[in-house]
Amino acid sequence: MNVLVADDSLIMRRLLTAYLRPWGYEVLEAKDGEEAWSLFQSESVSLVLTDWIMPNVDGLELIRRIRASPRPGYCYLILLTAKSEKEDLVTAMEAGADDFLVKPCDKEEVRVRLREGERIIRLERELAQQNRQLRETQAALIQSEKLASLGQLAAGMAHEINNPIAFVTNNLAVLRRDLGDMTKLIDKYQLTKPVLQQAAPELHAELIQLENDCDLAWLREQLPRLLQSSASGLARVRDIVTNLRDFARLDQAAYDTMELGKAVQATLEMLNRSIEEKRLTVETEDEHTPPLLCQPDKILQVLYNVVLNAVQASTPDSKLSIRIKADSECAILEVQDFGVGMTEATRNRVFEPFFTTKPVGEGTGLGMAVSYGIVIDHGGRIAIESELHRGTTVLVRLPFKPPPRQNGQTATS
Amino acid sequence: MNENRIQAMVENNKPSLLIVDDEPDVLFSLVALLRRDFQVFTAESGAQALEVLQQHPIHVIMTDQRMPSMTGVELMSRVRAEFPDAIRIIFTGYADIRAVVLAINTGGLYRYLTKPWDPDELVELLKGAAAKHDDLVAQAQLHASLSDYLDDASQLIKVADSSELGVGFAEQFQLKTQRLRNYLANIQGNS
Repeated sequence: MNVLVADDSLIMRRLLTAYLRPWGYEVLEAKDGEEAWSLFQSESVSLVLTDWIMPNVDGLELIRRIRASPRPGYCYLILLTAKSEKEDLVTAMEAGADDFLVKPCDKEEVRVRLREGERIIRLERELAQQNRQLRETQAALIQSEKLASLGQLAAGMAHEINNPIAFVTNNLAVLRRDLGDMTKLIDKYQLTKPVLQQAAPELHAELIQLENDCDLAWLREQLPRLLQSSASGLARVRDIVTNLRDFARLDQAAYDTMELGKAVQATLEMLNRSIEEKRLTVETEDEHTPPLLCQPDKILQVLYNVVLNAVQASTPDSKLSIRIKADSECAILEVQDFGVGMTEATRNRVFEPFFTTKPVGEGTGLGMAVSYGIVIDHGGRIAIESELHRGTTVLVRLPFKPPPRQNGQTATS
Repeated sequence: MNENRIQAMVENNKPSLLIVDDEPDVLFSLVALLRRDFQVFTAESGAQALEVLQQHPIHVIMTDQRMPSMTGVELMSRVRAEFPDAIRIIFTGYADIRAVVLAINTGGLYRYLTKPWDPDELVELLKGAAAKHDDLVAQAQLHASLSDYLDDASQLIKVADSSELGVGFAEQFQLKTQRLRNYLANIQGNS
C-alpha cells in the first residue's frame, strides 16, 4: 500500500520512511503541501501522513484539497503535529483528518495508527466492491425484467397483427390479378371507340372526358407499381412481425445437434462480402467443442446477427476475433471486434427491440433482441463487453443440453 | 346464407369449398381470391359451418383454428364423423401449430397452413384437395359398383345351366368372384 509522507523536514521524512519501509509500505515523499498535492493527484495513494506547518500549502489545506477531490476510494489522513491543544485537534479533525500524531512520534504508535488506517481502507474497498456487484446485479435484473415485459408486448402485438397482415397480403394478390383482367377488358373496349363514335357520339365524348379525368394512361402504367410497392412494404411488416415472434419466442423449431464451429464457418461464408469490403482479418480459435443440442436455424440466426453487428462495427482493415470454447456444461462463443465500441448507455439498451444505432432503413433494431430471446430460450446467456472506440465483445453461452420448456412461454429469463 | 345459395346455383361445375373464420375480412379476402376456381361457401363459426355442410355437398373445408366457442380442431373432428367425404384443412397462426399438428396425427387432416398464407400456394393446395376429393369419390363409386356387379354376377352363375358352362366352370367362377370380394373388402377396410 502506498503511503504519502509530507513534511518540510528532511530528517523527519527520512525517519518516517525508515520506519515505514520495513513494515511493507511503499513510501512517496513530499517536501511540502504543494508537492504532496501533485503526488496525490498523479499516484494512487490511500494513506497520507502529513505535517501541519509547511511552506506554501500547509497540512490543513492539503487535507481539505484531498477531501474535496472527486477521486474514488477513501484516503486515510493522519496529521502530524507538535500542537496538542484541544482546539487545534478539533480544527484538524474538522478539516477532514482521520487521526493525528503528536511529534515527536513514537515508532510503535505510528505503526498502530497506520494499521488502523489500513484496516479502514480495506473495509471501505470491500464495501465499494459489494456495492458495485449489487448495482450490476440490480442492472441485470432490471434489464431482464424489462425485456420480459417487452417480450409479452411483442407476443401480443405479433398475434394481433398477424390476421390483418394475412388478409391484406391476400387482398393485394387478388387486386393485382383482377386489375390485370380489368385492364385487358378496358383495352378491348378501346377497340370499340370508332364504332361508338359513329353510333353514340355523346357517349363517346363522355368516355374521352372520363379517360382524361382519371389519366387512364397513367393508371395503366402505374397502378401495378402501386400494388407492387404495397406488397413489398407489407412483406417488410411481415418480417418485423416474424422477428418479434422470435424475440417473444412464440415459435418452436425442431431440436437437432449442431457443431458450433461449422455453424460459425457457415455464418462467415454468408457474410463474406461485407467482411471483404472492410478488408477484415478473421481469426477463429476453435477448441472443437462437442455438438450442441439446439434449434439449429435459430442459433444460426443468433450467429448471423452477432457476427453481422461485429462486421458493421469494425473499422476497416481491423481484426475480427472469434473464439469457440467450452466448459463442462456450456459451449462458449466470443465474437470480438476492434471497431467503434459503444457507450454504457448504448450497451444497456442493446437487447431492447427496435433499439438501433444504425441509420433509418439499415437496421430494424431487432437483431440483438431476437438473439437475446433465442439464447435465453436455449437456457443460455448473452452478454456484451464494450469500450468506446476500442471495440466490443459479445459473449454467448449455450448449454449442450437445453432445459425443457413449457408451452406458450414468453420472454422471461 | 342467401348469397351462398345463389352461388351454389350459378356455379355448379366447380368444386365446392367451405371456409370458416371468425374474421369477416379474412372470409371476404379469400372469397375474392378463390371465387374463380371454386364454388365458395363461408361460415363465421363452427356451428354455422355444420349448418352449411347439412345443406350443401362440400368437397373441401378449410377452417381457422382459433375461434370462439368451437376451435378448428374440434370442428374438424365433428366433420370427420358426420361428413367424412369432405377434405379437411386447418389454417392457423404460428402459435397454435402444436394443437394442429396433433390434430393432423390423430384427426386425419389433409393439410394445415400458416397465416399469413401465400395466395398462389393456397390456390394450388386447394386444387390438390379438390382433386383428392374427386379421387376418393370416384374410388368409392368404383368400389360400390364393383361390389354391385359381383353380387349380380354370383346370382347369375347360380341360376345358369351348369351343363352349358362346362364342368367346374361355375365353381371356378364362384372362386374368382369370392377372391375379388376379398380384395375389395381389404381395400375398403384400409381406406
